[in-house]
Amino acid sequence: MNDSTAPLPPMPPLIPPVRPGASRTPAALGENPEEQVPITGLVSAFEAILRQPRRVMHQLRQPGASNVITALLIIAAVCSVVYGGVVGTFSGGVQLWAAPVKVAGGLFVSALICLPSLYIFACLNGSRVRLVEVAGLLAGLLALMTVLLVGFAPVAWVFSQSVESIAAMGALHLVFWAIACYFALRFLDSGLRHLGEQSGGGHTVWLLIFMLVLLQMTTALRPIVGTSEVFLTKEKKFFAAHWIESLQKESGAKPPATDLPR
Amino acid sequence: MDAIAPSLNREEIPVLLRGEAGPASEWVREWRAPRVLLYLSVIVCGAGLFGAAIGCWRAPLQGLYSAIKFPLVVLLAALGNALLNSMLAPLLGLNLNLRQTLLAVLMSFTIAAAILGAFSPLMFFVVWNTPPLEPGASISVTAHSFILLTQVGIIALAGIAANVRLLQLLQHLSGSVSVARRVVFAWLAVNLLLGSQLSWNLRPFVGSPFLPIEFLRGDAFAGSFFESVFRAVARLFAF
Repeated sequence: MNDSTAPLPPMPPLIPPVRPGASRTPAALGENPEEQVPITGLVSAFEAILRQPRRVMHQLRQPGASNVITALLIIAAVCSVVYGGVVGTFSGGVQLWAAPVKVAGGLFVSALICLPSLYIFACLNGSRVRLVEVAGLLAGLLALMTVLLVGFAPVAWVFSQSVESIAAMGALHLVFWAIACYFALRFLDSGLRHLGEQSGGGHTVWLLIFMLVLLQMTTALRPIVGTSEVFLTKEKKFFAAHWIESLQKESGAKPPATDLPR
Repeated sequence: MDAIAPSLNREEIPVLLRGEAGPASEWVREWRAPRVLLYLSVIVCGAGLFGAAIGCWRAPLQGLYSAIKFPLVVLLAALGNALLNSMLAPLLGLNLNLRQTLLAVLMSFTIAAAILGAFSPLMFFVVWNTPPLEPGASISVTAHSFILLTQVGIIALAGIAANVRLLQLLQHLSGSVSVARRVVFAWLAVNLLLGSQLSWNLRPFVGSPFLPIEFLRGDAFAGSFFESVFRAVARLFAF
């Protein structure tokens, strides 16, 4: 009966199996040999931002980081122009070139506005990050967001050919943007953690600021979906007030569907 | 100049922002002109940019004036209190001399100015999206409140972050949490006292739409910040 010294039966394997020495903290960047493969060219950057975000994060810490950042920015510029073109097809005419310019310009200006505060928040959170690395992560965010938006572009185009309401079309674009933004911000969040950010309080505040800047940019650069006689409307408005006014305008007396302004 | 330029190490600013008390306490003990120059330039640029952002809501000229005056308030408050701060520190248990005290205060103001500077593009964007602050312009109460709250929020964030880092530095220097808290509280009190009066003397920063754009008001040195607060409270409660 005295079996206290008998060997214990082997433990069933844990699912997923835990490697010896593995902890809950993420593995260090560059541990995987695939992450050490340099990103050369646009195709390589395009694939890496979608399939191997850790490779992008690792390459941003390497000597040739400026090439990676340039590639990501070119991808973001091309994709935002493509998606902007699809946005412009709703109204056609001048908007076919004005919407791509505004979508691409708005994204880049928003990123520039928020870059210094992202760097400051990263430092305040204890990260030993360099400005170029933060700029690289932000370029990655823009690239991933716009690549996903291009993925939504066929759906957006189909809707833009049949939907009559500017508010409905605007809301649809916002939903696509929100989904793309979610994945892009997840990339940034993961990148900052890998670069040594210790607490996420300031980071959450920054995410909120960035979202608000992007939303306000849609109003500052209006019209993007609808049409106007001027390239930019001079009247200053906050985005929430503009949305409420647009909804009220659309829910008011509507002319017959065939006479709706496009 | 060639000898000084390589010594201006911009990498010291992120170290201050991260709150690495070890290197910062070494820097406090050693007075080096290039380091002081670096702190002064961050304060002038950071606070100046933020001043320009809040001033340009009224007019570009007001933006220029505020860009000059905002760093001036910060620097005059640091210099004006240097002697008093260096007397308070040993009395409260922290043995720092005049130069070391001034450096510690400059470090905390540098952190605040770096944060203000980083947020100035955001402040410019908010101002750009708000109706101009001109006589006759229809500006909603919501927009006015939003822009003022944004300014206060950013200044509060910068102030809190700077004081938290100063507390960590003083804790490292003194080895005592209570001593560090006492010194920070004392320095904060005297800096707020002088800083609020200086900001009153150097007003306007935002600029009222009903008053002309001026570098200083005609009655800049008449009255005080605290008198005006007292009068405002008295008017509010009618006593």
